[in-house]
Amino acid sequence: MQAGIGSLEDLAFILLGITSLTSVLFVILAVKSRDLLMAVIYSAVQSTLYSLLLFLLLAPDIVLVYVAVSVGLLPLLTIMLVKKVGRYET
Amino acid sequence: MDIRVIMFLTTITSLYLNIAISLYGVIAKPNLVKKFIALTIAQDSINVTAILMGYRIWREVILQPPVLLNWNPLPKDLQDFVNRAVDPLPQALVLTAIVIGLAVNVFLVGAILHLYRHFKTVDMDEISKLKRGVIVEETA
Amino acid sequence: MKLRNIFFIALIAFITFILLIPTLLGSIGVIPPKDVRDIAKLYLYLTYNQYNRSLWAASPEAVTAIVWDYRGLDTLYETMVFYTAIIAALMLYSEILGYRDIVGGIGLSFIVKRGFSIVLLAIIAVGFSTILHGMLTPGGGFQGGAIVAVAPVIGIIVFSRRIFDYSKLSYKYLVALRSIALIGIVLTPLIPIIVTLGNAFIFQNQVKVLARFSYPSTIIDVPMGGSLTFLNTFEGIAVFTAFMLAFLILLYSEDLSKKPLEGEDIGY
Repeated sequence: MQAGIGSLEDLAFILLGITSLTSVLFVILAVKSRDLLMAVIYSAVQSTLYSLLLFLLLAPDIVLVYVAVSVGLLPLLTIMLVKKVGRYET
Repeated sequence: MDIRVIMFLTTITSLYLNIAISLYGVIAKPNLVKKFIALTIAQDSINVTAILMGYRIWREVILQPPVLLNWNPLPKDLQDFVNRAVDPLPQALVLTAIVIGLAVNVFLVGAILHLYRHFKTVDMDEISKLKRGVIVEETA
Repeated sequence: MKLRNIFFIALIAFITFILLIPTLLGSIGVIPPKDVRDIAKLYLYLTYNQYNRSLWAASPEAVTAIVWDYRGLDTLYETMVFYTAIIAALMLYSEILGYRDIVGGIGLSFIVKRGFSIVLLAIIAVGFSTILHGMLTPGGGFQGGAIVAVAPVIGIIVFSRRIFDYSKLSYKYLVALRSIALIGIVLTPLIPIIVTLGNAFIFQNQVKVLARFSYPSTIIDVPMGGSLTFLNTFEGIAVFTAFMLAFLILLYSEDLSKKPLEGEDIGY
């Protein structure tokens, strides 16, 4: 039983590390991209990885707010803005 | 002991890298929509860093979020709950911070649309050139 | 351009190191933390303790008890900041508030409309259920309000704006509903003082040693947090109507949105 809990703990910490390293890649892609629609989509993928990170940190209230706000309302708002002002950054 | 410390340090370092790269995006890119996207990434990364400081190592029990599942707890159950739960205080702070951040972002989008309709562009360099022209002809 | 790139790379490295070096030297404690803090242990021990009812909050969910009972004044001021930000966003367009749109629309195709109607009911049901069970399991006012706010925003895009302009959910009724919810949030901590004529605390939830007023602590046999249920419901309605108002204003057509800008080129 003790060995089981020890390896479960190692697995949780390893998942924390892998998720946060993947999110750095998507943040770099979002800041460097010249097509604003692709930047919004990379930012939404990064928000999904953050909600997995918040679930691993045992914060279920925050996951509910974060998914509704950052994967639902903010990309919608930004895509509407991109439609009105122009898609490509000169 | 080693793999847990290394993975936790990796998580903290990558969150700090996210904050630094998105702050570079706010300062260095001249397009207003790109600045707005990078600002939202910076806000989210700082909120996740605040919650990360409430986690702890397991120490031979399985951790639990701060929600009590037993509706008639004995004092022994309450002591068990205190030994197992993570910190609820950073979660309460971040909850209000996320909703306020969304309200301010909605106001920012309204301001960007108003600027676009007035100046016909969203590029910050061109707006400052046009604004310089407007100020010069108003004070002449 | 070369000097500018070098400067920006140096800026990124500088921000990262100035955050990382104090962390490695121990400014936030041991990495990873060994135990939670003492005040967190106190809140976790007192929040549903039926043997020592001097400071309990009658809800088995610690985060909702901290947000609305132990740190209730912070949440009240946060609601005020939220309210002010939405008013500022609405006042940029103060000349065209409540108008029906000039350009009519027909919405998207038939398949999208039928498919979305099913999903709309599911989103509203999940959102209201999350608001109502916030004191037992993870949930609450902010979470449920943000979930419900997604549905009418997509409704404006899928059906056209006509569904909101020519119905009961137009600007005036939404503002009235929001004002009722905000009055509810302000009155719930003040009712103990009014009913006992001054012998109670603000934001009082259960019986304290010096004050003898208490909201009910169970509904038949389910623990209810006292004032936490009412505060969650009012906050959920306030958040949902605020986001719906903000999106109704931002999604006008360009012809009508240029009206507040008339006359700016001649200096008016």
